[in-house]
Amino acid sequence: MDLSHIRNFSIIAHIDHGKSTLADRILELTGAVDKHDMKNQLLDSMDLERERGITIKLNAVELNYKYKNEDYILHLIDTPGHVDFSYEVSRSLAACEGAILIVDAAQGIEAQTLANLYLAMSNDLTIIPVINKIDLPNADVPKIKNELVSVLGFNEEDILLCSGKTGEGVKELIDAIIERIPAPNPPENNETKAMIFDSYFDPYRGVIASVRVFSGEITKKDIIKMLATKAEYEVVELGVNTPKPKQIDKLVPGQVGWINASIKTIDTVSVGDTITTKSHEANEPLPGYQPMKPMVYSGLFPIEPNKFEMLKEALEKLKLNDASLTFEPETSEALGFGFRCGFLGLLHMEIIEERITREFGIDIIATSPSVIYEIELTNGETMYLDSPTKMPDRAKIKEIREPFITTNIFVPSEYIGPIMELCQDKRGIYKSLDYINDTRVNIHYDLPLSEIVYDFFDRLKSSTKGYASFDYELCGYKAQDLVKMDILINGDPVDALSLIVHKDFAYQRGKKIVENLKEIIPRQLFQVPLQASIGSKVIARETISQMRKNVLAKCYGGDISRKRKLLEAQKEGKKRMKMVGSVEIPPEAFLSVLKTEK
Amino acid sequence: MEAVYIHIPFCKHICSYCDFPKVLHIDSFVEDYLESLQREIENNYDGERIKSIYIGGGTPSCLTKKERIKLFRILEIFNRTPDCEYTFEINPSDIDEDLLDDIVDGGINRVSIGIESFDFENLKILERETDYKDIENKLNLIKKRGIININLDLMYAIPGEKLSVLKQDLKKLIKLDPTHISTYSLIIENNTKLNNDNAQYIDEELDLKMYNEIRKILKKAGYKHYEVSNFAKEGYESRHNLNYWNNAEYYGFGLGAAGYKAGFRYTNTKNLHEYIDGNHQAESLLMTYKEQMDNELMLGLRKIEGVDVNEFYDKYGENIQDVYPIKELLESKELIYKSGHIFIPEDKIYIMNEILIKLI
Repeated sequence: MDLSHIRNFSIIAHIDHGKSTLADRILELTGAVDKHDMKNQLLDSMDLERERGITIKLNAVELNYKYKNEDYILHLIDTPGHVDFSYEVSRSLAACEGAILIVDAAQGIEAQTLANLYLAMSNDLTIIPVINKIDLPNADVPKIKNELVSVLGFNEEDILLCSGKTGEGVKELIDAIIERIPAPNPPENNETKAMIFDSYFDPYRGVIASVRVFSGEITKKDIIKMLATKAEYEVVELGVNTPKPKQIDKLVPGQVGWINASIKTIDTVSVGDTITTKSHEANEPLPGYQPMKPMVYSGLFPIEPNKFEMLKEALEKLKLNDASLTFEPETSEALGFGFRCGFLGLLHMEIIEERITREFGIDIIATSPSVIYEIELTNGETMYLDSPTKMPDRAKIKEIREPFITTNIFVPSEYIGPIMELCQDKRGIYKSLDYINDTRVNIHYDLPLSEIVYDFFDRLKSSTKGYASFDYELCGYKAQDLVKMDILINGDPVDALSLIVHKDFAYQRGKKIVENLKEIIPRQLFQVPLQASIGSKVIARETISQMRKNVLAKCYGGDISRKRKLLEAQKEGKKRMKMVGSVEIPPEAFLSVLKTEK
Repeated sequence: MEAVYIHIPFCKHICSYCDFPKVLHIDSFVEDYLESLQREIENNYDGERIKSIYIGGGTPSCLTKKERIKLFRILEIFNRTPDCEYTFEINPSDIDEDLLDDIVDGGINRVSIGIESFDFENLKILERETDYKDIENKLNLIKKRGIININLDLMYAIPGEKLSVLKQDLKKLIKLDPTHISTYSLIIENNTKLNNDNAQYIDEELDLKMYNEIRKILKKAGYKHYEVSNFAKEGYESRHNLNYWNNAEYYGFGLGAAGYKAGFRYTNTKNLHEYIDGNHQAESLLMTYKEQMDNELMLGLRKIEGVDVNEFYDKYGENIQDVYPIKELLESKELIYKSGHIFIPEDKIYIMNEILIKLI
């Protein structure tokens, strides 16, 4: 294969700026998908999914295109669209030489536009700026052009205009891909180096790795080796997606394809890792690999204790397709046996929790999410804390550091005030403010990640009427005056409700939590005190009054069935409650620590 | 099978709290309704001796003279024992000589009057009218006709009601000297005007206080507290209601009426047109053995004297403590065992659902 006729690229965009529609158009124009087959194609793949019960992931497509009478091969590599998965995005981008940056002709630059652009630039990609959706009635091309020039530093003449909807400008865009994006660099030697940028689990074939080959070749029966995880396998199948999977004999430099090596566990197929072959073994990995590192931890417990094994199986199954999910057994005095799970971020956490409930039918209690704290002990050791319950004794702690993030918050300028107020409330450190144009700004704050975990998104949305877009990246650990706060129900600390808070915010947070709990926990047969404490010092207190009345007072002219239904409904309601000591607590109480809005 | 319930779903005015099947009184409907009722009774009544008939509503007393007479003629089919308790529900404003003539002729020996309250604010919320002086006179008329077994309904825990208002109501009620008093803590049901108006319950604490006040005052006045919400002078406990709480079978005839026959608990349609068309029954469910026992407990524990352990064994061939976690609840003092009966202690009656849930 002639390297000079290969182009590898991604499409990057803020959510809803039209990425998938434009990708569909490109597939159509390059003949990968016939226009008439567009719908059929989708339907076929859905049938297949139903039949085999798997999800077919279209993570890279090989396209053929004739340009100036010469045949070119294009590889379009898909990227996930959420900040939780920025490492995966960066690896997908590292498999490319160029990226198409899409900006909506009406919305303009948003937080993820910028975040994705930075990721692409840090991978030295050639960027083609595109203003999409120019067919919209409220499109304002001159204004958006101006943003791209003044904020992102593009040359006006490089900006392409197109519409994924009407197809206008798409051909010019594909031409530009060939003209502007460089061909893959020729390999320096014949050592085999291919980067894994994605992987998924096929129940019939095992783990399938998506790779970009940088040097050397991979053929069937080759023994391959993962440089980071050291695992070795024999290649069973090689292929590309066109978009239908097509088997090929070998993968060569510059090419993007998939490898099936009958790999049973996804742990050994790490995104960003380098695959080499035993016959042409490389010692040095490709740059940029990072082991998967969860950012947010939460305890997951089955509401019914006998579903522990089911929960374990569910997590194992989810893990098959998701290397970033981590879990280990955790025991809570209040909630019994469960798992401490690590997630890439909040969205990732929500997805997993929802899938456990929906796909596996297990009702779970999720404890409030925690970030990873770095604790320097007086004896000089450093430990990492993913759960407040594991907090060491105060006397042994020299310093607690917590992860901070830097924000890009894009908002119309009239919301600068509310955003600043919100960030101050969240212990934010103001950094700077950039004007995108006369009416929009990008606000930079350093914020503790733990504060984002709380109600930040909801408050951001409500204080800006939904006009803000938000993105962040980690910027390191900072020492903070943090303490562990316990919540006591009926005098007993409930481990699953403990949390780590900043000392100055402890009173406010504790007060809010006991107030929330008072509303969520129903009256019991006895009075129940609720307390928030730091060490032995109680900082907030509420009391749930004793239940005084629960009787079907009225005698319904002999309608006994109705009485019984009411009782059964009450009984059903009790079933979902968790007994903590002698107090019945509804599962949502364990997330009450999250609700802190004023 | 010793008891019969007859439902008359017509009213002159729909009260704000009522969720029983009812419609405004329209002559043409009533005629058709009574005919359908007759058919239902004729098709189902097996001719047993009947010890209690209860005509409830709706407002049975809102029927016209002609309709009344027709109703009583239909009900003559029942083979009443000489001491049969025969109750007719009455709205205070409907009481006059003519009505009394007819019900006495019909054989009625017990009336139940929906007083609910004497307090102006309460009555406004409930959309009812009651005047103490007027009631006093009408009760005298009733007693003169030889009907001495009289129930008065009292409602409490009405939005905005104070303890002092309830005390006044109780005082007046006792002065009227009925044989039986039914008290109901207001329930704001769905599909009632109160619910639509977003009425709010009074505080649980006050509700319980009112309940305790009622128990205290009525006891002092010589009434026996014999069921969660019912009080009677010795010997005047409602036979009809006790039949429900003893989990015995009974006929239910009329719109929306519920009955229990040959092991089936059934409910009639709540749609008037369907009922008139002769599609009487809407739902019928055979009680399993366990459900029968559950109901025995659920209903029996409503009685202050509770469930008779030996009767339970005679009825089901099982020891109650082998079927239900009685022992645990005796230990936690949520149940008491005394003289062959298991019952809920007085201080826990108002939270009896909590106990029932643990049992069934």
